[in-house]
Order: sequence, then structure tokens, then C-alpha cells
Amino acid sequence: MIKHFTCVICPIGCEIDVEENEGKLILLNGNMCARGKEFVIQELKEPIRVLTTTVRIKGAEFNMLPVRTDKPIPKRLIPIIMEDIAKIEVNAPIKMYKVIVKNIAGTRVNIIATRSM
Amino acid sequence: MKADVTVIGGGPGGLVSALFAKRNGAKKVLILEREDELGGILKQCIHNGFGLELFKKDLTGPEYAERLIDDINKVGVDYMLDTMAIHLSNDRTITAVNSKYGVFNIESKSIVLAMGCRERARGNIVIPGTRPAGIYTAGVAQRFINIDGYLPGKEVVILGSGDIGLIMARRLTLEGAKVKGVYEIMDHPGGLKRNIVQCLNDFDIPLYLSHTVIEIKGKDRVTGVVVAKVDSKMQPIEGTEEFIKCDTLLLSVGLIPENELSKEANIEISSNTKGPVMTETMETTVPGIFSSGNVSVVFDLVDYVAETGVIAGKNAAEFAKEKNENKKFINILPGKNVGILFPHRYSYRDDLILFLRAGKWIEKPVSIKIKPLNMKMRRFYARPNEMIRIKILQDKLLSAKGDITVSIKEVEG
Repeated sequence: MIKHFTCVICPIGCEIDVEENEGKLILLNGNMCARGKEFVIQELKEPIRVLTTTVRIKGAEFNMLPVRTDKPIPKRLIPIIMEDIAKIEVNAPIKMYKVIVKNIAGTRVNIIATRSM
Repeated sequence: MKADVTVIGGGPGGLVSALFAKRNGAKKVLILEREDELGGILKQCIHNGFGLELFKKDLTGPEYAERLIDDINKVGVDYMLDTMAIHLSNDRTITAVNSKYGVFNIESKSIVLAMGCRERARGNIVIPGTRPAGIYTAGVAQRFINIDGYLPGKEVVILGSGDIGLIMARRLTLEGAKVKGVYEIMDHPGGLKRNIVQCLNDFDIPLYLSHTVIEIKGKDRVTGVVVAKVDSKMQPIEGTEEFIKCDTLLLSVGLIPENELSKEANIEISSNTKGPVMTETMETTVPGIFSSGNVSVVFDLVDYVAETGVIAGKNAAEFAKEKNENKKFINILPGKNVGILFPHRYSYRDDLILFLRAGKWIEKPVSIKIKPLNMKMRRFYARPNEMIRIKILQDKLLSAKGDITVSIKEVEG
């Protein structure tokens, strides 16, 4: 079956048509660099994304602290993780890259601060 | 007050300009920032995808900003926060105002403009209807959610498919709002393709091309909008109107470089880029006044903004040292199928980094031609929403006489 992808790894956004044949990936159309190939293989297996969002912070100049997952997570887990993150509140001061939640929703992925505040 | 290099604006363009002015030997480098912290719009762009070129890493906006702020603190750049530049004259004097000094002047040996751009709003696109609460530009909604922690609405229609609108479609969905659709008047999306995929498709948010909002309804709060299909002249087609119930309308309908100060200093503004007429050294038409980032031309990527900052900072530092007023230049002109083209002049002093946008959508292989250099570059397609960057080494340009023309031609195969 021919599958169509738009690579989201870099801003070029290459369009890639591939066919999976007995576990082998055949490029039919488009430009696929090494990172693009990795992306397509991962998309076929399980789409993953870096989740970026915010958590409430007390004692800082602003109400929200920006955070992200330190690794890409399965796309399907995003709603559950967002629910977990919504419950969190932290206190200033926080340093950039401080771990805010360890092993979120059992994914072995951490939620980290993306700025100092 | 005196400075060697003064940078107006502390966003990515300004931070990189200041950093590279200092690294290139300018003694006193001063940033004027009107907000209460440095970083500019990056602080509210909490999504990732920044820095792949400059830092070779996939960073979020706040990370990108904090790295730059750490760098300028290390090299010893001065900055004044809550400070607004209110006047600029062509003798390189800035009038600024803050609560510490009141109204004061800064005499600077050179200046870098880094005021960025602002969003087009309802007034720029003239949507008829009432004037209720619930109409925001995408960037304002972004600030509300990501910094202040307020959700601007629960049922949202987004007009315009610029990148900020697409990013906000995802962000609103993650925070529990229902995004009913993104409506784009053109027959192609405005933002980058990766954002269509990871912001709309990932969350099943529909994108309606060749559609626009023709009326806003609601007395105190938006209660809905009327959308319609448009024809090839972007005129609404009768009979295609549809009422969409919503409490919020987000506008993502383009950005305009913020050049009020530039105009005061009699800097020539380009009708092509809507920013100062500039050389490859990022110098404007007023000697010693340089420009970087989105005040010059609206870029797609912060890495491009940073790249202009590197050049502007370096050349501003050199000007502060030796006041090199080189008047010799050739023009760089858009030819066939080229829309935006930056910079506007080549003054034989450095490599030339061209940034351009196609003037129309060409979904076929194209060749970008640069005359008189005999340079040709092939691409799979030419799309106005994707800025094209081409670097040409100084060696190749030294013998160029007469104006440089850049054009895009369809090719076979």
C-alpha cells in the first residue's frame, strides 16, 4: 500500500510517498534524507512528537512556566499527558531544564522546564 | 548618554546583533527593550522547531531566547528594560523614555534596528459586522495562554493559515478548546507545511482553502461568524455563506515590519519588503544605521533572523570603529516570478545572502536564475509561503557589474 507522508523534522517539509513491501521500505516519490527516512519508519510504527505546553508557577513574574517532554512521546498519549500536566503547579525559582515531572504517565519521558523563572 | 552600538529591540534579531557587535570589538553595546525582559516574541513561542540551523538543536522559543540572553550576559552587553525608543534621527541620536531617566538621548556611533514586526489585525482586513469581545490576533491569544495562563475562548474559528494561527490551533486544542476550522482566503496555505501536518492534521482540525470570514456576529461576545467560499479574485461567492457558531475568532493574517522609527530617521523603506532598503551588510540608506530580523523583512525562521543579526552586529561594530561610508553599490532586483527579495543592494563588502519568496505558486520543477552571475539552481517547486535562502560568496560577486536580477523559471522534467 502506498503511504504519503510530510516530514516534520525540518522546515523544508518534504513530501514522501513510500510503499512498504515485506518489511522493506521503498521510496516512490519525493526527497528523503537520512532523518526523513527515520521519520517515515517511526511514523509507520508509532507516530511520536515532542509535546510542548505550560504549567502553573507561583512566585514568578508570570503565571505560566513553559515546559516540554525531554524526548518525543507517542502521539496517542498526548491527551492523557496533558491531563496529568494540568494538575501541576510549581514554585519559583526554577532553572531551565529542571525536571518538573519524572516518568510522565509511565512513558519514561520527563517533563522539563524550557526557561528559568 | 553615549554608546558605540545601540540596538533598538531585545528580541532574537536584537540579541544576536548585540552579541556580534560585542564579539567584533564594539566597546559599549546597549540594547533598548520596551518590555520588562529580553527575548521578544520567542518567550511566548513555547513550541519546538527553533534553532536547527544556528544551534543544531531542536529548541523551543524560550530555550532559544535564554541561550542568547546567557551569551550576551557573558560578553558584557548592557541593556535597559522597560525602555521605549520614541525618536530616531539620521545623525544616530535616539530619544528614549523610561521611569529611571525620564526622556533622554543616546548618541551612538552606530545603531541596529531590531524592532521586529506586528500582526495585522481586523482593521487591516476590514471584516464587517459587530464589535464584540472575543476577536484576537493569534499572537495575542498565544500570549494569553502561554504566559498569562488564560484560555481566550472555548469554540474557536481561525482566519488565516499563517504559522502563528496553525500553532495556535494546536495549542488551543491541547488546552481543551474546540477549533472548528482554519479558513484561508488563498487557494494555498500561508504557513509552513510541517505546521499543517503537526498542528492541524495531527488533531483533525479542518483547513478550508479559498474561504474567508465575511461577517462577525454577536453583541457583547462573539456568537459566530459567517464564512463563504471565494472566487479566483478572492471575492465571496453568493450562496456559499455558512454560519459557524463560535465564541472566539483568531486572526492570523500576516505581519508588518514595525518601521515608524526608521521613517523618522528618513531611512528609505522598500515597497517590496516593507522594511528599510538594505545592503548585504544590513546597512540601511542612512550611514551607520543597520537593521536586523523581522523589522527588515518578515522571515519564516528565527534562524534567518539570527543570521541577519550576526551580519548587522558585525558591521555596526566596524562602523563604530572606522565609520566606513561606502557609497558604491549595485541594485538587486526581483525578476520574473519573484515576490519578496532581500536585501536590495550589493556593496561589494561581504558574501551575499539572498532571501526570496516566489511571486506565485509553481508546483513544478523550477530554476532560480541569478543574472549576471550565470547561477542557476533547481528546485522541485516554488511556493510563496516558503522563503528561499541562497548564499553567494563575495569572490563570485566582485566582478559583477550592473544590477543583479533574480528570477524563477519553470523547467521541464
